[in-house]
Amino acid sequence: MGVKKNKRQKREEYRASMREEGVATLPRKKFYRQRAHANPFSDHQLVYPPCPEQMDWSTLYPDYVVQDDEPEAAPGAAEGEANQETTTPAPVRPKRLTQDVEVADIGCGFGGLLVALAPVMPETLVLGLEIRVSVTQFVEDRIKVLRHQNKDTGLYRNAGVLRANTMKFMPNFFKQGQLSKIFICFPDPHFKARKHKQRIVSTTLNSEYAYVLKPGGIVYTITDVPDLHGWMVQHFEAHPMFERVGEEEQEADPLVEIMRTATEEGKKVERNKGQKHVALFRRLPDPVLP
Amino acid sequence: MALPYHMLKACGGIVFAAQGTDIHSFSSDLKHISTWKYPVKAVEEPSDATPDVQAPPTPEGPPAKRRRTENGAEEKAADVEAATPEATTNGRGKGKGNNNNNNNNNNNNNNNNNKAGVINISNEKPFINCLVATTDGRHLVAATGSDKTIWVLEHDGAGNLKQLSQRAMPKRPCSLTLTATNTTILSADKFGDVYALPLLITPPSAETNEDNSSASTPTPVSLVSRSATPAAPIVPFKPQADPSTVHTKRNLKALENQKISMELSLKQAAAGQANEGKSGFEHTLILGHVSMLTAITTVQQDGREWIVTADRDEHIRVSRGVPQAYFIENFCLGHEDFVSRLCVVPEYPNLLLSGGGDDDLFLWKWKGGQLVARADLLSHVKKVVPEAEKLAVSRLVAFSSGVVAVVCERVPAIFLYKLTETTLTHVETIPVGDGTPLDVEFLSESKLLVGIDNNTTTSNTAAPLIVLEKEVSSSTWKQTPVQGLPATPPSGDDGEEATKVSPEELQKLLYTTESLRKLSDFD
Repeated sequence: MGVKKNKRQKREEYRASMREEGVATLPRKKFYRQRAHANPFSDHQLVYPPCPEQMDWSTLYPDYVVQDDEPEAAPGAAEGEANQETTTPAPVRPKRLTQDVEVADIGCGFGGLLVALAPVMPETLVLGLEIRVSVTQFVEDRIKVLRHQNKDTGLYRNAGVLRANTMKFMPNFFKQGQLSKIFICFPDPHFKARKHKQRIVSTTLNSEYAYVLKPGGIVYTITDVPDLHGWMVQHFEAHPMFERVGEEEQEADPLVEIMRTATEEGKKVERNKGQKHVALFRRLPDPVLP
Repeated sequence: MALPYHMLKACGGIVFAAQGTDIHSFSSDLKHISTWKYPVKAVEEPSDATPDVQAPPTPEGPPAKRRRTENGAEEKAADVEAATPEATTNGRGKGKGNNNNNNNNNNNNNNNNNKAGVINISNEKPFINCLVATTDGRHLVAATGSDKTIWVLEHDGAGNLKQLSQRAMPKRPCSLTLTATNTTILSADKFGDVYALPLLITPPSAETNEDNSSASTPTPVSLVSRSATPAAPIVPFKPQADPSTVHTKRNLKALENQKISMELSLKQAAAGQANEGKSGFEHTLILGHVSMLTAITTVQQDGREWIVTADRDEHIRVSRGVPQAYFIENFCLGHEDFVSRLCVVPEYPNLLLSGGGDDDLFLWKWKGGQLVARADLLSHVKKVVPEAEKLAVSRLVAFSSGVVAVVCERVPAIFLYKLTETTLTHVETIPVGDGTPLDVEFLSESKLLVGIDNNTTTSNTAAPLIVLEKEVSSSTWKQTPVQGLPATPPSGDDGEEATKVSPEELQKLLYTTESLRKLSDFD
């Protein structure tokens, strides 16, 4: 017990000093560890907007906020003609960004891929999504420091992280066809058959990925568990909205190499000399109504 | 104590009313015609070793909680024990909640079983929780709660019901609907999945079983690839990790153990096959949420069909009709608490009304997910129940002209709303004298049939079924109890059994909507 308390104290002290020093040094993982599994079905104390229009991205990407936004001109435009005078006033529309988030790393963990991707695609907003609180906090601090360290080049301004349960609330954050790339890297394998519904890839959930991806958008998957790889391939290929990207095209994609080497888990697998299985899937155009 | 009529369905000239586990039919002038009773002994139940003739309280034991296949034997053992508490010896080996079972008194024994999730007596009253009718009125589809069964009943047009089929679903159905063609049942369950089942089943043959197992591998149209699907062939356990993916000593050891248990599971696979045969009917997973589903409905436009599903996490999803149910057309987002009811008014097929734990009712253009209007409900609830701070919509029932009757859980009134293409307005609140309304059905625009829970009032004299009729002269609603209701218990010991629910259990069974609210909302 004493040890535990000590650990917590150390953590708190560390985080406090992080706040004070602010942006001097990169955060250290050991003060942000959290159990690797979170139950996606439980109602965590999550914060999420009721719909994408009410999502406030300005805190995540302060450099992309639209300046001189017309002053609250169109809350009705986003809300439809909510013309019932008895209702609560339309919520204040959050500040808009000059562009939408287009790349999402679902289950970004400690953010290795996120910080590797951000400088490679500086014109695109990249978002990491993570369900664990401390881990999200780590990535947040990491981005803060990186932004500060690269003040002159302006790198990492396009990276952001959000605590969210993507399996439940993805459509609350992203509009239809908003994303062009989704990364699913080393997801929790959930070995037990009973827990397969908790897997981040399932045919029913793939419908939601298809919803937030624009036609032609790509889902990148990587895992070191051969059976999970088989599962993801099987489920995406079974879904009429996705096709697998061919080997040649896959290897030609520079992001695949980043995904192989830059994710924290990828590095760990590297150290342990494990295998890495990559599969890419393209979102097909909307099906024609029968 | 009489069981209330908690679910009403008008269908042609006939009114069906579910009372606990039974369905009564009434003529249009509310004369009782006949009663379909929940069969005492589940027909599907395989004749296992347990001679459970002496177990009327738990007639459908095994199908009620069909968990992992390897637990089946255990559950059955526990079931016998619950039924005949004298038999305290049971052959259960390892298991989590049963360590001190051998030397307990009867009460404790039952408690233990409850904890193990085996038999909960209150759960064992499989109340009817969904009731839908085909548009031609020839068939009635019902779902019962704890045994997860979907029942298809044939209606002869004169109020007599005949049971055609009974199908135990993998998870508890929360809401049912039928496609426009009346050939397919869509069942939305607690696990977030929607299954399509044919209304009428051809008798199971070896051939159809074959179809099922082949359909459970992913195919382009159906999404039945989930392993939780009971129709999936039972695959012997195979560890998915291998020595290259586990790195710690402890995990490697665990992997070794898994390999040992793999051999054991091969033996169990044989037993599993029997289990498979039990649920071998055609049902296709067509879409799913990662949340408990609360309502499902179909909507039509230009001769095409869409499926609308609502869940506990505030989402309303619009998917295309069956061959393309994998395609999400859009969401209707804006609710900030659970959505419990959806409703389409026949006059306005492009609009969708939704209600749940929010203070308002929402009106949507479902195609496009555009919010058309919100109408306050809480302030009207407060006029009836001044101390109310929140509400839970338990029924939304539409009449073709655009009038919608709203029932909120534990609120002794019915709220009438009127919708048009662009507005949703409160028309009036009809207070209901004794007890709280459970369900309401339109007999005509000015005549409502209401099922009342009269057990909540001190005076037990209130009628369980009343008619509210608007008087033209005074434009007030006249309340008349329905006379000549079937006596409770109607006949036989089964009816008696049904009334043995304790008041607390009854509350739990009848009022399920408020419990959808997330706990964090309270603090």
